[in-house]
This record gives sequence, C-alpha cells and structure tokens, in this order.
Amino acid sequence: MTRPPKRTIAPIFWLLFGAGGMLSALFGTGLVIVTGFLLPASPPSYQAAAAILHNPLAGLVALATIPLFFWHGAERLFLTLKDMRAGPRPLLALISYGAAAVGTLVTILLIFLMEFGS
Amino acid sequence: MADRDRLTIELWILRYRPAQDEEPHFVSYTVTYTEEMSVLEALQSIKDEQDGSLSFRWSCRMAICGSCGMMIDGTPKLACSTFLRDLAPGPVKIAPLENFPIERDLVVTVADFVKKIESIYPFIMPKETKPVEAGEYLQTPAQMAAYEPFSDCINCMLCYAACPQFGANPDFIGPGAMALLQRYNGDSRDAGSRERLDLIHGEDGVWSCTAVGLCSEACPKLVDPANAVNQNKTNSAFDFFLRGLRKENHS
Amino acid sequence: MSERRPYVRRQSRLWWASRTYRGYTLRELSGVGVAVYGAVLLAGLDSVRRGPDAYAAFVGWLSTPVAIVLHLVLLAAMLLHGLTWFQTLPKTMPRLIVGGQAVPQKTITNAAIGLAMLCSLALVIGALS
Ligand code: SF4
Ligand code: FES
Repeated sequence: MTRPPKRTIAPIFWLLFGAGGMLSALFGTGLVIVTGFLLPASPPSYQAAAAILHNPLAGLVALATIPLFFWHGAERLFLTLKDMRAGPRPLLALISYGAAAVGTLVTILLIFLMEFGS
Repeated sequence: MADRDRLTIELWILRYRPAQDEEPHFVSYTVTYTEEMSVLEALQSIKDEQDGSLSFRWSCRMAICGSCGMMIDGTPKLACSTFLRDLAPGPVKIAPLENFPIERDLVVTVADFVKKIESIYPFIMPKETKPVEAGEYLQTPAQMAAYEPFSDCINCMLCYAACPQFGANPDFIGPGAMALLQRYNGDSRDAGSRERLDLIHGEDGVWSCTAVGLCSEACPKLVDPANAVNQNKTNSAFDFFLRGLRKENHS
Repeated sequence: MSERRPYVRRQSRLWWASRTYRGYTLRELSGVGVAVYGAVLLAGLDSVRRGPDAYAAFVGWLSTPVAIVLHLVLLAAMLLHGLTWFQTLPKTMPRLIVGGQAVPQKTITNAAIGLAMLCSLALVIGALS
C-alpha cells in the first residue's frame, strides 16, 4: 500500500481558530454592544474601570479572549488570501499568523504590565 | 392544453469535440418540450433529431446511477431530475461538471475520483473475521442510523463540482470520497477507522477543506458530505494532538 | 473520432467573488472582524493601563463617527460570524443519535444560537447593572 501522506501542522491553527470562533460566537455580539455602544454612552469613571481591570481574574479573561480573537481572524485571513491567490502561501501564512503571534505577545506584555506594573 | 405541447426552450450547450475543437464553445439548440420533460430528455431529443454527435452520460433516468451530472445554469444538477418547466423561459446554459477535465461535450474525466474512492478502503474491515458458522455481524437500528445517509451516495460528483477547494487543488480527496469513508468509519461492524484516518491527515486530505458547505447543498441524495469531511477534520485534529497516546495497531 | 484530449478549464481567480461563493467569502471576512475587534479591546485595555488621560481619550474616541461606524460594522460581523458558526457546528460533529433517531442539524444550530443569545444578553445586563 502507499505510505500515509505527510501530516500538516494545520490542526494547531485550526484549534486556536476554533477556540476563538466559539468564544466570539457566544460572547462577541454582547461584547461589542457593551464596549462599543454602552461604554461611550455612560462611561465608568477611570477608577471604576481600573479597579475592574486590575483584578487578576479580568486579566486572565482578557489574556484568553484577545489572543484567541486574533488567531481566529488570522486563520480566516490566511484562508481568504489563499482563496484570492494573493501571493505565495508561506508569505500569506507569515502575514496572517505572524500578525496574530505579534498581537498575542503584545497582549501578554500589556496585561503583565497592568497586573504587576506600578 | 394544446398550447402546452408547443412550448419551446432554448438550450446553450457547451460543446467540445477533441478531434476538431481547440476549446469548448456554446452552441444553441431549441427544443419543444412538455411539462414533465427533464433536461436529460431534452438532450436525448437533440441527439435524436438535431445533432447525433452530442455526447453526454446517462443510464437510469431516475436519479440513482449518478451518471448524468452537469452544470445547469451554473449549478451542479442531475439532468434526469431537473425539469425544463423549472428552467423556463430560458435560455438555459448547460455545461459539463465544473472542476473536472472535459473528455467530450458534457462528458468529464472520472478516473481521479474513482481512484480516490478506491483508496479509502471502501469495505468493512472487521476487528476479527468470524467463520460463517459464527453468524452475522449484528447491528442495531441506532447503530445503523449513525452512518446510513453516507451510504446513499451515488458517486455523481456534483459535490466536487460545487467545491472550490477541489477546483483549486484537484488532489484534494473531496466530499464524495469522504462521505464513503465516513460510511465505513461510522459503521459499528468496522474497525478500519485508524487506517482510514491515516490516509486523510495530510494537506490533500481533510485539511484542504474550508467548510464552504455547498457540497451538501448540491448533493441530490442528502448525503451531507460536508458533515463527513468536517467531522473527520475534528477527528484528524484530535489525532494530531493525541497521537502520542494512541495504541498502535500491531499487524 | 476517438482522439482523447481532455480539456482542463482553469478555475477563475475571482471565484470567491462570484455569486455562488460570495456568502462564503463574507463569512470568512466576518472572522477577520473578530480579530479587528480584539485589537479595539486591546487598545481600550492599554488606555486604562496608561492612566486617566489615555482612558478619557479612548472613551472620547469611542463616540466619534468613525468609531461608531466601525462598531456597527463589527456588530454586523459578529452577528454574521455567530450565525454561520453555529450553522457549521453540526457539520463538525458525528451524527447525534437520540432514541435511535438522528437529531436534526437545525435543532443543534438553534440550541447553540439560543445559548449564544443568553451569553451575550448576560454580558449586556451585567454591564447595565
Ligand atoms: S456525496 Fe452526494 S453529491 Fe457527492 S457524489 Fe455522493 S451523491 Fe453525489
Ligand atoms: S441518469 Fe442516472 S442519475 Fe441521472
């Protein structure tokens, strides 16, 4: 028989895509309404906002949510660019997944500074 | 009633005769039709009365042999179960199935598809073969319900014509072959899932699929090949992360 | 007469924009909207970290026409994403057999959409109280 075909690492990106997709499908609409429309309509005081976000639990939630949103978008961007034949595949992957990776690092850094910074 | 018999409709048919045509081109035919006439019957009337060189495949005329798939006004359909009354007033564009090489007129190359369905072990691989005296391999109705629709595939390839990822990558195993694969993987009497999963974990396996989903809409037998592909994408992903834990089959 | 010379049609480069696949392409782009919204969230978070002035500036920006239009687009993207996500969900799982019968995919989709509405509603109510 023929040898089994070579595995791809697509499952890694697919898992992140799936986690971000599920989170945003469940909570995304509510989140946008809250931060995009309710918040500017009656903004909480700085003290109140800071108190919420300095809670480590909030930091943890943000740490899970924001990067997964990035990875979700990255997978879809990559596949759409591939569908559009916008360039060589490795380049498209670098642009899409690279952006998500950078976004993830920035998120981790900022949340770390917020929770543990002065 | 008298008028009904004099209805006419114009068909634009993509013709390609390898011996004389450099490339395919549309030719117009006008046919007289009745309320209950299918596209296949219109093609047959053209072949009988207007142009005997027109080539197309058919056999059963009742949506079960899977031979007469073609693009009808841009959608993959079985010509024998598509009726002219639903396409009126026309003109109707008829072309060979999308994403397949054209052999002649409406006839496409099926060799690759046949190779794909042969490749996925399209037979029950029991855990251990019993002698005939030991009796049948039994199955409950619930166990049968788990795979039954996937066994309804008639190999018409309409799902392949609807799939842009197969259009982009002809090596992609594609919806129809995955439906057949799931027909066996989902069968309680079968123990070949491991072997079949190993065939589809590559780029040309399930990972070419982007869940466009139109294959299931094109399917005339409600097989839902998109379900077959995507549940195996989930299986392939689990296998990717957990393959260290799996017990290897000893052969 | 029996010459064999299969003719291969090239797939159009613009297939993703054709009427057949437009819905699919929009669905994919709605997912990119999810990432854009992630960036907005991150900017808001960072404004709080940087202090009261930055926070005030961020909140001020949220009321500008640009931000409102952006959030309307993002809201539409989230809705499309949520809807299509749960339409695809039953395709990714084995056929669900309950009492010997397959649960219709529509039922699974509707249940998941119901759950999503509860989740989003909980966020909104939580924010209002
Ligand atoms: S899955 Fe449906 S559309 Fe595809 S080959 Fe089988 S019967 Fe035809
Ligand atoms: S002729 Fe058999 S399916 Fe149409």
